[in-house]
Amino acid sequence: MTAVGAAGVRPRPRRGWLGTLASTDHKALGAGLFTTAFGFFLAAGVLALLMRFELARPRLQLMTLHGYDELFTLHGSTMFYLFATPVALASGVYLVPLQIGAARLRWARVALAGWWMVIAGGLIMWMGFLTAQGAADVGWYSYWPLSDMPNSPGIGTDYWIVGILLAASAAILIAACVLATIVTLRAPGMTMLRLPVFTWTMVVTCLMVLTAFPALVVAMGLLLAQRQLGGVFSGASGAFDYQHLFWFFGHPVVYVVFFPFVGAIAEAIAIFSGRRWFGYRPFVLSLLLFAALSMSVWGHHMFTTSAVENRYFSLTSTALLVPAGIEYFDALATMWRGRIRFATPLLFALGFLVLFVIGGTTGIFVGSPPLDYHVTDSYFIVAHFHYTLFGGSVMGLFAAVYLWWPKVTGTLLSERLGRWHFWLTMVGMNVTFFPLFFLGWEGMPRRVADYPRSSGWETLNAVSSAGSALLLISLLVFLLNVARSLRRRVPAGPDPWGGQTLEWATSSPPPPENFPAPLPPVRSFAPLQDLREAAS
Amino acid sequence: MRRAGYVAGVTDTRHEYDTLAGLYVPIGAAVVLLVALLVVAFAWRYRARPDDPDEQRRPSRIHRAPRTEALYVLVLACVAALLLWRTYTVEGRTDHAASGRGLGVLVTASKWHWRFDYPRLRIVQRGTDDAPPTLVVPARRTIDFTLRSLDVIHAFWIPDRRFKRDATPGFVSSFSLVFPRTGFWRYGGECSEYCGLRHTWMKFHVAVVSPAAFARWTRARQGGAA
Repeated sequence: MTAVGAAGVRPRPRRGWLGTLASTDHKALGAGLFTTAFGFFLAAGVLALLMRFELARPRLQLMTLHGYDELFTLHGSTMFYLFATPVALASGVYLVPLQIGAARLRWARVALAGWWMVIAGGLIMWMGFLTAQGAADVGWYSYWPLSDMPNSPGIGTDYWIVGILLAASAAILIAACVLATIVTLRAPGMTMLRLPVFTWTMVVTCLMVLTAFPALVVAMGLLLAQRQLGGVFSGASGAFDYQHLFWFFGHPVVYVVFFPFVGAIAEAIAIFSGRRWFGYRPFVLSLLLFAALSMSVWGHHMFTTSAVENRYFSLTSTALLVPAGIEYFDALATMWRGRIRFATPLLFALGFLVLFVIGGTTGIFVGSPPLDYHVTDSYFIVAHFHYTLFGGSVMGLFAAVYLWWPKVTGTLLSERLGRWHFWLTMVGMNVTFFPLFFLGWEGMPRRVADYPRSSGWETLNAVSSAGSALLLISLLVFLLNVARSLRRRVPAGPDPWGGQTLEWATSSPPPPENFPAPLPPVRSFAPLQDLREAAS
Repeated sequence: MRRAGYVAGVTDTRHEYDTLAGLYVPIGAAVVLLVALLVVAFAWRYRARPDDPDEQRRPSRIHRAPRTEALYVLVLACVAALLLWRTYTVEGRTDHAASGRGLGVLVTASKWHWRFDYPRLRIVQRGTDDAPPTLVVPARRTIDFTLRSLDVIHAFWIPDRRFKRDATPGFVSSFSLVFPRTGFWRYGGECSEYCGLRHTWMKFHVAVVSPAAFARWTRARQGGAA
């Protein structure tokens, strides 16, 4: 539904922030959800900085043990439930209708409700800090029985569960809207095998949300019932059931928050190489294979439980290197014999390629049970998933922001500040997270606020903490760039980069109906590139 | 005859880990370096030179190479198969359950300390929240561990042995380790599954002693307990 009301009367569009909060225009909604999620990213980042300050030296300096437990719980939970998932879906809400030549988002009011639920869920989760016993302190996967009432009696944990229930349900609703838009609102000529690369990554993202997130809703619902009423989980089978339920969601979510940014870097690499994306069909196939495998690897989080068939989950996890390898092949082949321009979105895309492969190969490493026995639940794992989530998702997110900022706001960002932002992030990221591989290998467990002086871990921890300060600076440079761009308003024009897909065929920012002029013909997944190649 | 790292037919988990990691780490490092190298090389080689009047280059319009890609997928599949074959082989050795012929040690984890029972020797090493216990074991002898938890999920990790196992309440898990070198590892054992407030400090020491010293320790402990 667009802005047409139930009685068919077009209501007067409201202005101001209240108007934005009530808008069913997918662009206002996408930008609003994106901004909300980015706010949670900054908040969770502050928690991470506090943790790195605490860990810079042995002993407790800043906080109590309990305070530290609250920090890592809210850091991980906020990052996954309130930042990464919403920001991934927000990118789809904004861009998918534009990429497929649609005027609107299907079921936009449902998606709007989703945005409100993310805000409400986030506020409820963080309200835990105001309660007497503090915020949730059970870790982002909150294993039962630790998360049961006798072990974690704080009401902050109940708030946290309710917050996740809202955010997870919101993700399901929004994913349904995006997927329905792709299935039903494509422009004439836009077959499924002419969807832009980014839109294809949103298809698999939505499929994974729709299949995996219900397991999270069930897990959290049961956990809440167990805490308030009891009788749901018991004994060892209860502990294992919870883990199965949680990781059935908990692994696909990693790809949910990753794939849209694979799509973003793919668009960036294609545009700034002056070539269309290489190997479109194998790429689409690899995405679908990736999504299918993602639903069958959850047991690798349970290798050390003695309660799963390790060899099966090792097989499915190791098999992931095949679709991942295809994606790298296509990225490099797109650059091959291109005409490469070093704009900021491309820098972040190339940074993504180099950093994510470290997260990916260490992921294959921990997919081997005898190796996982040593490094799981250690800082090695922390390093591994920060290379995938920060080196992958966040670098890809910034590639997306720099690529589409001119489209969304109609103004340009500073390339000079963008380069500073990129290099500070690259250096800060590696200085922060690379030492953690060694700390984990040497035996430092995750989720500890202190470590023995005799351990020899002081230097690596200090280096990592120094790196996190660099990441803070890099983020401030980014915020400065955003503020300058919004104040100076250097007009971007409809297509500042030489874009290849339909969103670059309309003005920046796009008008409410998206495409007032007739659409260019759609004969491939890169219609504007078709026109450009036909002309030269 | 004894090979380096092997102790009389018993699985040395650290040796197995190092062997397997010796396959994974070089392959992983090579892949990372290759990707980084190709990214930098392509970015440099194919960079646009708008200031160069001689540059008349048009970007390539080749967008698919199905045979090359299929061949490449075959290579990837072979790499995956190699890694899995080695993983399965090693896992078979690391995972074998308690033999029953070694020295039995019952490990009990509870918030937030460890306890080690040597049932046949009638010895108990009991830790408290403030004083971690010491796991005393004879060198080069199989230790058959039985692991349980009394409250929440903990995990028993001895980094030097490159091995950990979850302690799930209501579930008993068994595994065997061997400690080839004598020595004392201060905080050499840890809880690695987050288990609540004092998880940070839930550790134990590991003392690996010669068989003769272990016999002396056993007698002293039994005498002391009587």
